[in-house]
Amino acid sequence: MRLAIADDSGIFRDSLRLLLETAGAEVTVSAASGPELLAAIRQVELPDAVVLDIRMRPSLTDEGITTAAELRQLYPDMGILLLSAHAEIGYASRLLEAVPAGVGYLLKDNVMNVTDLMAALSRVAEGGMALEPAIVQRLLSPRKPGKLDTLNERERGVLGLMAEGRSNLGIAHELFVSPRTVEAHVTSIFNKLGLDQSNTENNRVHAVLALLRGGGR
Amino acid sequence: MNAIAMRAAISSPPWPVRPSGQLTAGVGRYSWPRIAVVLALVAVWAVVLPWPDWAHWTALTAVNVVVALLFALTGLLLAREPGQRGLAWALVLTGICRPLDYIDAWGVGPFPFYALVFGGIDRVFGAWALLRYPNPSLSRGHRRFLIAFAAWMLVTRTLVGVTATPQWAAGAPVWMPELLPDVRLATVLSIVGYIGEGLCGVVLIVLLVRRLVSARRLDRVVLTPVVVAGIAATVAAIVSGAGQQEVGASSAPVVAYLAEGLVDIALPLAFLVAFVQRALLIRNITWLVAEISGGAGVDVIRDALRTTLQDPTLDVVDLSALDGPVPAGLGGLQEEPPSAVPGAEPAGQDRLVEFVHSESGEPIAVIIADPSLDRYRGLFDVAVRTSALALQTAQAQAAAAQAKLAEVHASRARIIEAAHAERQRIERDLHDGVQQRILGLAAQLSAAVAKSGDPAARAAFAGAREGLKEILAELRELAHGIYPTVLTQSGLAAALEEVADRLPLPVRLDVPATRVPPPVEAAAYFAACEALANVVKHASASEVTLTVTVGESEVAMEITDNGVGGAGPRGHGLANIADRVSALDGHLVIDSPPGAGTRLVVTIPCG
Repeated sequence: MRLAIADDSGIFRDSLRLLLETAGAEVTVSAASGPELLAAIRQVELPDAVVLDIRMRPSLTDEGITTAAELRQLYPDMGILLLSAHAEIGYASRLLEAVPAGVGYLLKDNVMNVTDLMAALSRVAEGGMALEPAIVQRLLSPRKPGKLDTLNERERGVLGLMAEGRSNLGIAHELFVSPRTVEAHVTSIFNKLGLDQSNTENNRVHAVLALLRGGGR
Repeated sequence: MNAIAMRAAISSPPWPVRPSGQLTAGVGRYSWPRIAVVLALVAVWAVVLPWPDWAHWTALTAVNVVVALLFALTGLLLAREPGQRGLAWALVLTGICRPLDYIDAWGVGPFPFYALVFGGIDRVFGAWALLRYPNPSLSRGHRRFLIAFAAWMLVTRTLVGVTATPQWAAGAPVWMPELLPDVRLATVLSIVGYIGEGLCGVVLIVLLVRRLVSARRLDRVVLTPVVVAGIAATVAAIVSGAGQQEVGASSAPVVAYLAEGLVDIALPLAFLVAFVQRALLIRNITWLVAEISGGAGVDVIRDALRTTLQDPTLDVVDLSALDGPVPAGLGGLQEEPPSAVPGAEPAGQDRLVEFVHSESGEPIAVIIADPSLDRYRGLFDVAVRTSALALQTAQAQAAAAQAKLAEVHASRARIIEAAHAERQRIERDLHDGVQQRILGLAAQLSAAVAKSGDPAARAAFAGAREGLKEILAELRELAHGIYPTVLTQSGLAAALEEVADRLPLPVRLDVPATRVPPPVEAAAYFAACEALANVVKHASASEVTLTVTVGESEVAMEITDNGVGGAGPRGHGLANIADRVSALDGHLVIDSPPGAGTRLVVTIPCG
């Protein structure tokens, strides 16, 4: 897999590059900021996915999201994975609004599990989604009242796995049920959230967005 | 136009205001050498007029000289007091006229006639002095009485003079008009005249008693000795006159005259006492100055003025404490006189109102006092000026204290701001520095784990990686406590959602996404954390609601739980909240009845 990375911490950037290359990826761009990344990407063969730090100079707030939106406009098929030192629902939500598909939002802690990291990169490169499980867990916390209350326990679990980026098959494996059962849950979730019932990637994003918005909270 | 409005309309007093020093220093027209010259002349006059009497009735003559001199001296001394010139004249004239009564001692020429006709005129002047003191002028009724008294005396005595024949000095060359010489008629006229004069004496006593009864405060203080002595002198004059009538014109009742003369000494002395009392009142001002000139509040000044001016109804109104234009404030004052003073007389319509001005001419206070104080202008004006000084000093001190307070407040705000900035800096350093390095190390260890073929090495790397994971978690917790990144990045709403998610009880949040200035955000955030931690620790609540409203000028946060209530402002957590919030001029309101939950309202200005 061909990758580009952008992070304003040199030490982390170099270590990440080392890790990704160890895992067999080819890192063609290693930039310290969003603009630098955008400029460098034009010079090389198009990467399958980019790894972006969310908080970069100069604003030190959400450079990563802005850069992600610009990347998506320029390269509609490129996978985009944002890494963040801390998990924030607000950022995840804004990212998914700006870049609905082929996008992921993970904690930097995932560098400790290179397999999962590479899997997430593959998913976003293929147009899928990857959301930090810690965020998903918080979103699904039963204390949160709102629209999601209409979902039953099993459906919430399925929605959470969808948010993490699992496919129906993946979810079936995870929950030890048949893919058909998963499909039935997914249809029911779409139904309850007022989405049309076709199992499209678009609908999956909308369902996750509904989750991120906390059902109106 | 009522008295208050009239006085208020007058910017400068229409009466001459003399500084108190002039009353005692003895400078100007009535200096001591001049007084000595006048007294010497009076002494010569009083000694010479009854000259032949010195041989027989030395004591009586001496007493009369003393009386004349005392009257003259008292008059001269009182002439220095503002508004007392007329009184001074009355007293001096009393002293000068007094020896006329004894001019018949010469027993020759027209002197006995003069003594008969003018011998009582000093009593008219004495009555004038008594009725006038301490007012600057006589009332109409008093003036009529004096005119009637003088007319009666002159007319009846003249009539006696023209009907009498000189009997007591047969052979001496005494001249009498002898227009209608008739001894019986003369005796009757003399008795009638005496009765009329006696009635005038009684009327005078009544008038004096009435004056004393109606006099208030300072007036009564300075009037009492004068009235007492005046009544005594009048009674003595009536008695001695009666003796004269009884014994007849042939032999003078020396003992009665002596007694009258001695009693009469009391009268000028009483005026002197009153004069000294007035001077002592002026001295009170010195005490007042010592008491309040260092600067004093309105209350202290009010009490000091009440004592100094002996007016318990006196009130001082601080104009700086009144709202609206001054006339409106005064209107309110008039409707509500200071009736709250215990034992104070109800304030009448007619009050003495004086504005206290600052050096720059600004009215700073109003003194409302008994109108009788108007007769003690010197005293009153000095008191007003002293109060002005004290009030101005007090107001300056208050302004200085206010400025100091504002300075302390501003410096506290700066300290809070600096602490806030420092926290953010530390958090950023931890986040961008240490945390990135640890994450980098973790990535390298992961790479090492993946690369290494040696299972032992892989296990070691993996162990190290686990250790880093723990360090990272601790570091994150630490950074979050110092200053939550989410607050900087996404604001209060997102930060409070994270807090709510960590709590072991349901939190209903209603927080707008609106951003407010960072110090306000931080204060609200930490106050919320403290409050929510309190709920978890103490309230035994099953639910808590947190609502934030962002207004144009302030942020209001309300935290309500359904727990046991009974939270007090002294609780450590709540005191912390109050401190944080008040540093930004905000407020904390605690409503926590036992058993009925707790409701905290925090308001912080932002604008």
